[in-house]
Amino acid sequence: MMKNLLIVIPLTIFICFHAQAEDYKASMFGIKSNGTTMNTTSIQKAIDFIHEKGGGRLVFYVGRYLTGTIQLKSNVTIHLEEGATIVGSTNIYDYNINGPHFSSLISAYKAENIGLTGKGVIDGQGRDLAYTLLDQVQKGILKDELANDRPALRRPKGIYFRECKNVEVSGIMVKNAAEWVVVFDQCENLKIDKITVDSKAFWNNDGIDIVDCKNVVLSNSFIDASDDAICFKSHDPTKLCENVEVRNNVARSSANGIKFGTVTSGGYKNFKIVNNKVYDTFRSAITIATPDGGVIDNIFVDSLYAYNTGNSIYLRIGARWNKGRTGSMNNITIQNMYCEIPNSKPDAGREYEGPVEDLPRNISPASIVGLPGQYISNVTLRNIQIVVPGNSNPTYAYRGIKPADLDSIPEMPAAYPEYSQFKELPAWGFYVRHVKNLTIENVTLTAQGKEYRPAIVLDDVQGATFSKMKYIEPESNKKKQVHTYKSSEVLLKK
Amino acid sequence: MQKLFLKIFLIIVMSQGALCAKDYNASLFGIKSDGVTLNTPSIQKAIDFISEKGGGKLKFYVGRYLTGSIQLKSNVTIELNEGVVLVGTSSIYDYVGANGIKALIVADGQQNIGVSGKGVIEGQGPAVLEQITKQIQKGYLQETISQASPGLIALNNCTGINIEGFNLQNACGNVIALTACKQVRLAGLKIKSTSNKDTKGLVFSKVDGIKLENLFIETIVSEIKSDGLSTNISLVNCQYASGKNLIFKN
Repeated sequence: MMKNLLIVIPLTIFICFHAQAEDYKASMFGIKSNGTTMNTTSIQKAIDFIHEKGGGRLVFYVGRYLTGTIQLKSNVTIHLEEGATIVGSTNIYDYNINGPHFSSLISAYKAENIGLTGKGVIDGQGRDLAYTLLDQVQKGILKDELANDRPALRRPKGIYFRECKNVEVSGIMVKNAAEWVVVFDQCENLKIDKITVDSKAFWNNDGIDIVDCKNVVLSNSFIDASDDAICFKSHDPTKLCENVEVRNNVARSSANGIKFGTVTSGGYKNFKIVNNKVYDTFRSAITIATPDGGVIDNIFVDSLYAYNTGNSIYLRIGARWNKGRTGSMNNITIQNMYCEIPNSKPDAGREYEGPVEDLPRNISPASIVGLPGQYISNVTLRNIQIVVPGNSNPTYAYRGIKPADLDSIPEMPAAYPEYSQFKELPAWGFYVRHVKNLTIENVTLTAQGKEYRPAIVLDDVQGATFSKMKYIEPESNKKKQVHTYKSSEVLLKK
Repeated sequence: MQKLFLKIFLIIVMSQGALCAKDYNASLFGIKSDGVTLNTPSIQKAIDFISEKGGGKLKFYVGRYLTGSIQLKSNVTIELNEGVVLVGTSSIYDYVGANGIKALIVADGQQNIGVSGKGVIEGQGPAVLEQITKQIQKGYLQETISQASPGLIALNNCTGINIEGFNLQNACGNVIALTACKQVRLAGLKIKSTSNKDTKGLVFSKVDGIKLENLFIETIVSEIKSDGLSTNISLVNCQYASGKNLIFKN
């Protein structure tokens, strides 16, 4: 009986709690929709009040609500009705730039049952904000090392939730952050659905960053960002990102469409990435990288459609900030993928276009590159079509397939992992190095123009099975499209 | 004695100048990397400022920097780091010339100047040419197409020039034009400019002392052209897109 009561009481509390959750109109707290009144303190008062009353929704109706940093508290959801826009202040001092964590327009720390919902917009005004910050740095009032001539510290993110549980973000549009746009760090039970991220406002505008989170569903969203669009990171070597499902999203980026990294301290485990599209994207449709000692295991990618992207697939183990730990990557499956790579710049004409780097180089192949003794293992690529422009010019950039040529490709363990990092590579379809147990099945590689390189180069590959391969290249009669070097157990089936 | 004193004085002044050679970030002058802000006056201010302070480097970091013509001044080097694209505006009235040759980067009568780095200079040739053609058709522009077409670099009557390391692409006019210059070094440049059919790669006139090292030049017409009045020319490892070695007929 006692035991039953113990169950019943919390249940009742829970029910009451939910019954109490009610809607509060923003105007009740003196929050102004005029676009010019700074609402930071009144919005914060509203959140604190609702939180103390046991929770509910703070509802914004049509209008522009100017504010600096606001912090969500447990059991509070900000609901933006259609036409409501939360507008970020362009004054850097309206933000939590001196706090213990990353600064942002909308923040939450150790909160539970929180949400951002509705059909409204959150606009960070990130470019003006970044330039006011830069101005304060140039005047010597704030200190910053200006990495790449832009403020490295304190650029506020759009949304930054840390160590939160039971988070729902749905329906809203988030745009124009000064740095990463929508960020979840060490959160659990995270549901992101039907959101739009539109941010080409400034450098490092990652669309959505999922950092060391557990139990995540990201679905039905559209992400258009100047840096990586859908991005997983791991900042804490004792944590990792796990149980993540990414379904039915469309991404466009001046960096990578779907990216694991760069900072990969702990790692990534159990990912399902199903039925996503990537288009007009400067770098890879999908990059999975562990440069900082993280462990990557069990990543399943199905039905990825990539059109007009600079590269298709890049898998990479590096040793950058690993501090003696050894990164690993095992059990990667990519299936049912179509990718078309253009001869022109896929993100041309955008503000903050992806930086042209690693020249001179002809169009780079998809690459799977571990390190000597650190093999990427159990990689399956199945039912894939990749179309590349071909027409490489060996005078402009050359890497042959003689042993000396292949050995001249640097290992670059400490470099930032990017598909172009090795400059010219000796293949036009796949370059594979330091890999164990590779299965490639039913893959069609098409070069639209003649290539001086073979389709595939394997270097230090221990165990590879190719079956149902198709190579399409003009004037390529009797050309040997697979070149193996320092490899064993390579099986080329029909 | 007076002469010696003057010499010593000059040496001190010059070494001071060398000591003053400093690095300046582009952002210090409000130059923006967003690809849409027209930076012409702020880049020009930066160059003038650095030259007046005794010289130094104007350093650009990753980003697209839209600009019209900028005029290099003595003792200033523009450094385009990897990931930088210096983009020529398609607005044709933003270009000026040196000795009548329009270009994105021009200099006239300057000493000890340079452009370096692993970045890119992008001329937006087709867009610029389209504007020129339209303006001529409408009768607003009283120049021929070739007079109006800006190249990427045009230097006149300059001494001590080092242009090194980067990529030049899609010029509207000729990529690099040098007239009456001395002590010139062009090294490690990758020139790919096939978007406008009349674009030439390198054009020289009355240049004395030019070293061409490790160049790659891909254009539709002449990769390299001289009026025969240049002297002291050396070529090392310079190639056409076809892989053949560049030949320089003076």
